[in-house]
Amino acid sequence: MTLSIDRFGAPLFVSWQLTRDCDLACLHCCTESAPGKRLRDELDEGEALRVAADIVDSGVPYVMLCGGEPTLVPHFFAVAEALGNAGVNLKVETNGQRFEAAAAKRLARLPIRSIQVSLDGDTQAVYERQRPGASLAKAHAACRAVRDAGLPLEITFAPTRLNLHEAAAVIERARALGAFRFNSGRLMRLGTAARLWHKLAPSDAQYREYREVLARAGDVLEPPMELCYVPWSIEDGLRAALSDPPATLLVLPNGWVKVAAPLPEFCADLRRTTLAGAWQSYREAWRNDATRSAVKRAIDDESCHAEANTWRMTPVAHV
Amino acid sequence: MSESIVTSQTQQAAPQAAKPAKPVAKPAWEKPKLEDVSEQVMAQPYIRFT
Repeated sequence: MTLSIDRFGAPLFVSWQLTRDCDLACLHCCTESAPGKRLRDELDEGEALRVAADIVDSGVPYVMLCGGEPTLVPHFFAVAEALGNAGVNLKVETNGQRFEAAAAKRLARLPIRSIQVSLDGDTQAVYERQRPGASLAKAHAACRAVRDAGLPLEITFAPTRLNLHEAAAVIERARALGAFRFNSGRLMRLGTAARLWHKLAPSDAQYREYREVLARAGDVLEPPMELCYVPWSIEDGLRAALSDPPATLLVLPNGWVKVAAPLPEFCADLRRTTLAGAWQSYREAWRNDATRSAVKRAIDDESCHAEANTWRMTPVAHV
Repeated sequence: MSESIVTSQTQQAAPQAAKPAKPVAKPAWEKPKLEDVSEQVMAQPYIRFT
């Protein structure tokens, strides 16, 4: 079996969850992040900078820093600058609650490909219902700080039955804020969203209506903004990955490397092995029968995703 | 028959004429480039990896 991941001597992309800590406890959170949820064994600054140096030395061109809320991590800027100053392109995901002009200006010195801010509502009431305690005004201010610093802004919208009626307004808000892209898709049945699935998951009829909203929004040409909602579901993404696994490593806050976000399996521990070892282990994992069976099970039964945050080692793990 | 047994028999028959070992074939890996990201990197719903 020849896979396209065998083309590359290193991953194209590393998605690095720096922490499970967050200043919000969103109902739809796929990683179950929340205040006080920092893991006891998260990488400290020295360990994180060693991983960053390994990423640079391996020639990885693109890294996403996410969480939890990555800007809560004391060494967030140290990691971003270690990567960015070495030429690694960066994407940063933030809820925008504490992302102000100073942070945007500091990041603007680095090769930033995208700052992604979540806007899960267009009124404070709806936004706060899905993100209890959050301020929509702060999130909007963060978007403006991103654009004022000359950085590319990306908006993401996680659809639930609480906020879908405001989707069209959020799309237009994203345009008005100067976003280059609006991201969405089907609600992922992961983490907190899996626990609250019956409270959050939109109905089929609501999803049909939402697809029409997205299609209509795609007809609007000015100002230009990319509308991305493929893969529509986790299952679509896993199906594609089964035949052509992504050249992507997902690094957890403790340095473990996951095979895929919706699966519980991890294949390496960056405290004990190098990025090259993790990359080898990842490629082996996608050839492993047990892993491929787990992927197929997850495609067939989305309730399996509820186990995604109960991590377990693959048989081919480099730890 | 494994490669190691072939090598052993050859050495016993003609130890002076042993051929130099062939270099181990390394995979022809490419250095990842940002231009490859859009086509090679999967996204999840509302989390774009491109």
